[in-house]
Amino acid sequence: MNQLLKVENLEKGQILNGVSFVVEQGAMTAVMGPSGSGKSTLLYHAAGMDRPSGGKVWLKETEITNLSEDERSRVRLHRMGFVFQQMNMLSNLNILDNILLPVIQANKDRRSLWEQKARRSKAELTRTARELMRKLSIAGLEERSITQVSGGQLQRACICRSMMNAPEILFADEPTGALNKSAAAGVMEELVRLNEDGTTILLVTHDSKVASRCGRILYLSDGRICGELELGKPVSGEEKQREDRLNRWLMEMGW
Amino acid sequence: MIKKLVLNDIKHNKLFSGAAVFFMAVSAMLLALTVLLTAGLLGAIDSLMAKAQVPDYMQMHAGDQEAAVYEESSGELPERQIARFAGSCEAVEKWQICRFLNLDNSRLSLGGKSLADSTQDNGLSMQGEQFDYLLTIDNEIPEVLQGEVYVPVCYRSRYELTVRDQMEIGDREFVIAGFLRDAQMNSMMASSKRFLVNEADYKQLKEEYAEEYLIEFLLRDGTDSNVFAAAYAAAGLPANGPAITRALIRMMNALSDGTMIFIIFLVSIVVLLISLLCIRFMLSLQMERDRKEVGMLKALGVGKAQIRRLYFAKYLIFSVCGGLVGVLTAFCFRDPLERQIRELYGVPADGLRAGILSLMAALFTEGIILLSVHRFLRRTDKMSALTALSAARDQERKHGRRQYLLIGFVAAACTFLALVPQNLYSTMSDPAFVRYMGIGDGAIRMDVRQADNIDAVTKRIADTLEKDARVEKYAVLRTGSCTAVLSNGEMIHLPVETGDHHIFPVNYSKGRPPEGEKEIALSSMNAEELGLSVGDSLHLMIRGETAAYLVCGIYSDITNGGRTAKAYQTDDEIPPVWSVLYVSLNEAADMELWMEEYRQMGADVIAVADYVKDTYSQTLEQLRLASVSALGMAVLVTAVVLTLFMRLIVEKNRYAVSLHKALGFTGSNMRRIYFRKGICPALAGIAAGVLCGNLCGEGLCGVMLRSFGVDSFHFTFDPVQAFLVLPGILLVTAAAAVWTGIREIRRVSAWECCSGMED
Repeated sequence: MNQLLKVENLEKGQILNGVSFVVEQGAMTAVMGPSGSGKSTLLYHAAGMDRPSGGKVWLKETEITNLSEDERSRVRLHRMGFVFQQMNMLSNLNILDNILLPVIQANKDRRSLWEQKARRSKAELTRTARELMRKLSIAGLEERSITQVSGGQLQRACICRSMMNAPEILFADEPTGALNKSAAAGVMEELVRLNEDGTTILLVTHDSKVASRCGRILYLSDGRICGELELGKPVSGEEKQREDRLNRWLMEMGW
Repeated sequence: MIKKLVLNDIKHNKLFSGAAVFFMAVSAMLLALTVLLTAGLLGAIDSLMAKAQVPDYMQMHAGDQEAAVYEESSGELPERQIARFAGSCEAVEKWQICRFLNLDNSRLSLGGKSLADSTQDNGLSMQGEQFDYLLTIDNEIPEVLQGEVYVPVCYRSRYELTVRDQMEIGDREFVIAGFLRDAQMNSMMASSKRFLVNEADYKQLKEEYAEEYLIEFLLRDGTDSNVFAAAYAAAGLPANGPAITRALIRMMNALSDGTMIFIIFLVSIVVLLISLLCIRFMLSLQMERDRKEVGMLKALGVGKAQIRRLYFAKYLIFSVCGGLVGVLTAFCFRDPLERQIRELYGVPADGLRAGILSLMAALFTEGIILLSVHRFLRRTDKMSALTALSAARDQERKHGRRQYLLIGFVAAACTFLALVPQNLYSTMSDPAFVRYMGIGDGAIRMDVRQADNIDAVTKRIADTLEKDARVEKYAVLRTGSCTAVLSNGEMIHLPVETGDHHIFPVNYSKGRPPEGEKEIALSSMNAEELGLSVGDSLHLMIRGETAAYLVCGIYSDITNGGRTAKAYQTDDEIPPVWSVLYVSLNEAADMELWMEEYRQMGADVIAVADYVKDTYSQTLEQLRLASVSALGMAVLVTAVVLTLFMRLIVEKNRYAVSLHKALGFTGSNMRRIYFRKGICPALAGIAAGVLCGNLCGEGLCGVMLRSFGVDSFHFTFDPVQAFLVLPGILLVTAAAAVWTGIREIRRVSAWECCSGMED
């Protein structure tokens, strides 16, 4: 398999102390660890939202840590997707406009070297967004305000937004952290389906149920990767065994 | 605890605190400055007028020509009749006749500079015997020795004079012993200027020049000068010149510098309005930001009044700082702005009063701002802890629109501020402004006033003009003092100018110039005082009988006290008081040379454009200063408000900016978006300000100019200034301010939104 994301000796103040790992193309990887272990910080740095104090991050051949802030923004716009724990949508835009926000900007931004896609019309983009919303079971909520939908629906809309630019990798920070049990399961279902369709996913979670749906789990403690568990591709009917195996491993890691 | 909370809040919100103090300081400074200058000007004028003992009523009278009408035997002024009238009239406390020797400007020079092109009636005078004193610049009554002259202080800087310079009158030389303040004629808007000489010198020169009389009265307290004027006219005493009252003198003095104060006052009102809006906006942002904390305090059981006190205490501290800074800065700005006032009128007797009044003005400003803060805070009382939290999003949306509206409003107000004084300046410095002053807009005006036989001299000049190929067109206007009989039987003197008023028309606010024989047009001041309008009739005494004249027009006039009339024809037997000829030349003619030639014919020849400049030179200078200050203030307020607002907007939208960045928007993308958001309302505001400044500003200035006697006033735009330069300056300022304000975007990180920054 090809390497998609490579993190090498990543450091950030006292939070990250030389984190190294690789995410293969098409993989679904979870980062777990106790509170304050630096999970979210690792994710933001891997996504180029901030500059680390040491170490390097590559997305394929592009060394993100070497880029200027504006160049990193372009990488995020065209090649990455991000799903937040708190959904993070703009309150003065409706659901559809929130979903369209990054893709319209990407459509405008023709300066990037890796932008090979042709410019698309607003109608075409809207069609794509509606199609994606239908796939994620939130069709019909387009005109709603973000306060008029449930948490689960809002998180699905967030996933739609992150997928609009067909990213090479999707980052998710506690994607089910703010949701109830059934909504969380639904959102996780969608992420697994996206991964099955070929999207590489790196997510941060403290929920073993969520992590057990991933093929590989990294355990972060005191700013270092302390362990790694390969669970392989999820197979229907083996959810319980995978979860038990993960829990045992977590106990060993001191969870 | 309140003290601790307030002080910590101020420390942590330096931007808010600084901005609040700035707005309070600027508002207080401007109003305090207005009060300081007004008190300074009025105080100086009053102390000068008190020291000089200005007459309550003064009738001008050009002597020789028609003195015979009153006292045929001697040809002198009928002093006995005046004495009899004064003795019988209880209202008169003192009276005197001041003599004014009307000099020929072409034979005058000051410090080696000729006064030939001066548009003022310059003349010699002796010190008043009982009152109406001409004072030195130390406000003392000078003693003039033979061969010495005291020169009006307004000529000091104009002709760059110093004591011991020479003044030449014909072939006689005088030494300038000092400069004098003439409480009556200090203002350049008063068309005469008195030079003080020794009695012996005056008597020697009297043979060569025509003498005019100022018949002056000091009235007992409580006398109505209008009633006295009617009594004077009824007594049939000499009155072929304008009559001036003490109130009119005070107004003329106040107006030339009052224009600048008016502009500063206008600026202070607009800035106060901007400050009120900005402070309320900042307060609402703070309340919104603190919503959760306020909710928590309420949940803990802290009372509404106590929460309100927290905010109010902070603004009270700001207002004390702002007020103090404002008053101190007002005192700093006072000196350069008051220079001309001090030169013309001296230092006011009671400087302490001005200081106290300015402090009160600052207190008043801060009071208004605090009242507005208090009212705003009371509104928030109604909100419960729960609604405080749930209404957050709605509030956010509402403020979103309001903040951009506010930027538009501030830009519009600042453009208005910069534009109105500039337009007023352009209008008053435009040569066509003479038409509002009651002067025809010919290129040249020739006055025949001092000739022995005015009609003969005028006819000789008119005949020469008729044959002169360089003359494009000319008009001869002859002024005689008519007697008008009012509906209540009262008789008044009315200077009526006869001739063809169509050739060089003045500005008519109503109706048209007189055409037919029995038509008359009145100056707006006369029309107002006589209660006449177009279509009414006015009775004039013509050859001993009353004749009805139809009022056909009303025009603006500031000449001769603003009380004049124009007719096509009245009575040839009424002796002329003066004649005026207006001339416009062919383009090829050399105007200077032409004027020099005609000066030899016994007339004062002046270029009309110079006349405007001279009459309004002090006003224009002050107006220029005021318009530059207003522009400076507009630029400063635009820069500060827009920078501040954009910073606050970025701060308020920090979460959205961060989210955009997290989604892949670059810093420059975000700056462009916010730049557009800021500059669009600013641009719309500037456009609205240009429109308002050019349209509504006219009405506002009209109110002020009406007190100058200028009616139905219209702006004369300098299109480059009004539509290009000033809006351009403000647009560049706005763009720079918006750009500076949104620099904060750089410091917003993409990950901020991920760490629960939303609230």
